Amino acid sequence: MTTVTPSQAPVTPPSGLARFWRRAPSSLRVGAIILAIHVVVAVTGPLWAPYGVAQMGAGIPLSGASLAHPFGIDQLGRDVFSRVVHGGHIVMLLALSGTLLGLVIGAVIGLLSGYLRGWIDEVIMRLVEAMISIPFLVLGLLAVSAAGPELSGSPLLVIMVVAFLYAPRIARLARSAALEIVTKDFVTIARLRGESPWSVVRRELLPNTTSVLLVEFAVRTGYAPVLVGSLGFLGFGMRPPTPEWGLMISENRTLLLASPVTVLGPGLMLASLVVGLNLFTEGLARILGRTVQIGQR
Amino acid sequence: MTEPLVAVEDLAITYGQGVEALAAVQSVGFTIGKGEAFGLVGESGCGKSTLAYQLMGYRHPAARATGRVLFKGTDLLALAAPALQRLRGDRVALVPQNPTTALNPAIRVGTQLAEVLHVHGRAASVEAAATRAAELFERVGLPTPRTIGRRYPHELSGGQQQRVCIAIALACEPDLVVLDEPTTGLDVTTQEQIIDLLIELRGRLGMSMLYVTHDLGVLAQIADRVGVMYAGHMVEVAPTEELFSSPRHPYTRGLIAAIPRLDGGPRSPHRLRGYLRRLELPEGCAFAPRCDEAEPSCAQRRQTLEAVGPGRAVACQRWRALGAIDTAGAGDGAEVAATDGASVLDVTGLTLRYGRQGVLARLAGQVPPVVVRDVSFSIKAGETFALVGESGSGKSTIARAISGLLPLVAGSIAFQGQALAPALAARTPDQMRRIQYVFQNPDASLNPRARVASILGRPIAKYLGLDEATARPRIEDALREVRLDAGYARRFPDQLSGGERQRVAIARALVAQPTLLLCDEVLSSLDVSVQANVLDLLRALKRETGVAMLFISHDLAVVRELADRVGVLFRGTLFEIGRNADVFTPPFHPYTHELLMAVPSAHLKRRRVPRRDSVALQGAACSYAGRCPWQKGETCVTAPPPWREAGNGLRIRCHLTLDELTAKAVWRAEGAAA
Repeated sequence: MTTVTPSQAPVTPPSGLARFWRRAPSSLRVGAIILAIHVVVAVTGPLWAPYGVAQMGAGIPLSGASLAHPFGIDQLGRDVFSRVVHGGHIVMLLALSGTLLGLVIGAVIGLLSGYLRGWIDEVIMRLVEAMISIPFLVLGLLAVSAAGPELSGSPLLVIMVVAFLYAPRIARLARSAALEIVTKDFVTIARLRGESPWSVVRRELLPNTTSVLLVEFAVRTGYAPVLVGSLGFLGFGMRPPTPEWGLMISENRTLLLASPVTVLGPGLMLASLVVGLNLFTEGLARILGRTVQIGQR
Repeated sequence: MTEPLVAVEDLAITYGQGVEALAAVQSVGFTIGKGEAFGLVGESGCGKSTLAYQLMGYRHPAARATGRVLFKGTDLLALAAPALQRLRGDRVALVPQNPTTALNPAIRVGTQLAEVLHVHGRAASVEAAATRAAELFERVGLPTPRTIGRRYPHELSGGQQQRVCIAIALACEPDLVVLDEPTTGLDVTTQEQIIDLLIELRGRLGMSMLYVTHDLGVLAQIADRVGVMYAGHMVEVAPTEELFSSPRHPYTRGLIAAIPRLDGGPRSPHRLRGYLRRLELPEGCAFAPRCDEAEPSCAQRRQTLEAVGPGRAVACQRWRALGAIDTAGAGDGAEVAATDGASVLDVTGLTLRYGRQGVLARLAGQVPPVVVRDVSFSIKAGETFALVGESGSGKSTIARAISGLLPLVAGSIAFQGQALAPALAARTPDQMRRIQYVFQNPDASLNPRARVASILGRPIAKYLGLDEATARPRIEDALREVRLDAGYARRFPDQLSGGERQRVAIARALVAQPTLLLCDEVLSSLDVSVQANVLDLLRALKRETGVAMLFISHDLAVVRELADRVGVLFRGTLFEIGRNADVFTPPFHPYTHELLMAVPSAHLKRRRVPRRDSVALQGAACSYAGRCPWQKGETCVTAPPPWREAGNGLRIRCHLTLDELTAKAVWRAEGAAA
């Protein structure tokens, strides 16, 4: 027995951002600051970057770091700092949209599979497990080569590959979240009403799994830039001269001894974005995770 | 008077701080003498468990307590943690509400008991602990006490698990046992056995008891004195018999009136209305908003316990004016509806197995056991047919099969004269609409992330093809039909009380304008007072809408009040079926009789029949054989019992003749006995 009736449970009132900020975990706050800087740079960067994306002759190639060229000059005489600034939005958009697509596909497959059960569920889940058992990059490369040369180098392909890699993992999570809910009587009622599986998933399962799925989305988004960068580094992502950070690290890696800063620059940016995203999403996951508990009571 | 074992003085417990502070218990005082059984009763949320846990010296970290809780003269509130630890389980022991969660599933029950002995230094060695454990297991009536300690909790039934918990509580021969709703989760028959055990143990060991429950009927059997709590206040304290014969406080009166009566006789008109809203309490008497006798000054003036007789006290300023309240009064009893209508549901020879079968299990040739065997009954338009039996009797399974959730093994179901496809997918949308299901637990049957408007709106849209704008008045009608305000449409389920949630669940079924309502234990997760209100609602709906109901319940008293016809089910076999009044008068089937005898009643003293071992024989022709107190010998094991017609459509399936059954019946309805 509880002496606290539901209506008295501490409900966080719709308070201002300031109050939220004060109560938020410190990881979320630090992450948010780092992310904010990245977003500002990505959005406004093209306006104030000292040089153009592919503008050659910005300085003496491989001249090292200086005040005018903080990340140095690459082999072709392009200003690496300007290129990094120009590339910010590409990395972020690829990571976000890839994860989002993966979330949508994974959630739909997982929730349907968890609701339908039976042989459909068995088949889908064995496929999903098979995909998960293949290492990330190997599967990614497989997908890129399967897509064929006409798509090669397009941002769409990168997004699809990220989604393709994430969807099975999200599907498995969504299924396990669904399994907990399908046994509840309100789902049985919907089944008795003759609702279609899609309608049950949309009306009954999805609203009750949002917290879990959002947490997963947040965490996956944090790692997506690494994936995008890795694909770029291996030459399976964007094509030169796109200022995608992973690609830039790959292009300049031969210069590592001559002008290390041309690799360190984009590397640091990528690292700080990933750290920022991870801190932010980890904090967010903790907040969302708490609402999960409050919801279940 | 000698010094009491426990004296609680001016105790107040508050959760939280500042504006959000919630006073769970306010200025409560009572005593428990040596060897006395004190009962605490009240609705959910009245603070009775919070209060009971104080006697264990347990307090939620967010709670603050003032006042004194004296146990043998020591104040438990002031006691340091190590001293409390020595006390708990040793001098004061707890029997928890839910034995399934109270026992550690990974540890053998004997080890769990021995742990208590070791912690308190009551066993010199492992062997001594084992001997003592066997002794205790025997004392609480567990089978094979020497070996049962090696079992894990999941290998025991719910009743046996509770016996283990009681054995653990008794291990150190405590002075006080705190029982927190120890029988609430159990079957009627199991509950009866546990209460018998507690009465017997108390008589033998002479320990004091604090018995917390929402069920006054149970307290009538076991408590010497009863304290009634409302919203953290003790509103009445009285010796048990006086409390029942002349309750002083209007709330006590309401609680007693809420107990359904088996005699089908008049029900008191003093029903409790509304429910406890702790955020909207007046400054004065907390019960004033729900009280029929309240005067304007009640809401302002604080009520304190005032002695009204030897050992009696009541916190009501109007007690003198109200006098001793007559518990019996005029009211509507069970009404028998005209049941000459067309047949809505015909179930013939229904046989069911439970559960979905996995591919692997099927390959391995495993067949799930049959849980319902050859059950036949029919329900006419506007009629309420009740299926009663203990858990595991297959009542819900039958409802699931009718609803299309479970495939049939044999038999047939006809709905409005037409054969009903067993699989849901093969049924017409109209059939789906006409058969509606209301589940036991409204917490699980309402989508927590959907507002009431959409919970009710979806079936309207689905069945009647209405859009949102035209559905709105329908939603309001539906809410009104279950006596809820239109404002509820905007709420989420967790903003409703248990009773309100069940009303919404019933409303959701009603918007489909069903012909048949399957009510699966719809009252059993509700408080007694809320139960009475929902029961009234169901009765009114039956009258107003003429819907036929399959009412599944283990609670005979509720069935007695609501049903037109009754079927008694044991282990998937129907043993008795007939009109309500006929089922509740002799001749009884032995199992019906056992169920009737098990119902705790506030209105009569306990009568007992000698029990046989409570385990039915496996594989006997009559599934009740072995457990049956009136068994006829070998015949019951070898030959299936025949149906006997007792007139008026009453049929009993037993080897005993009707005359024998009538002669053996001990149980009489209270009204008839008087």
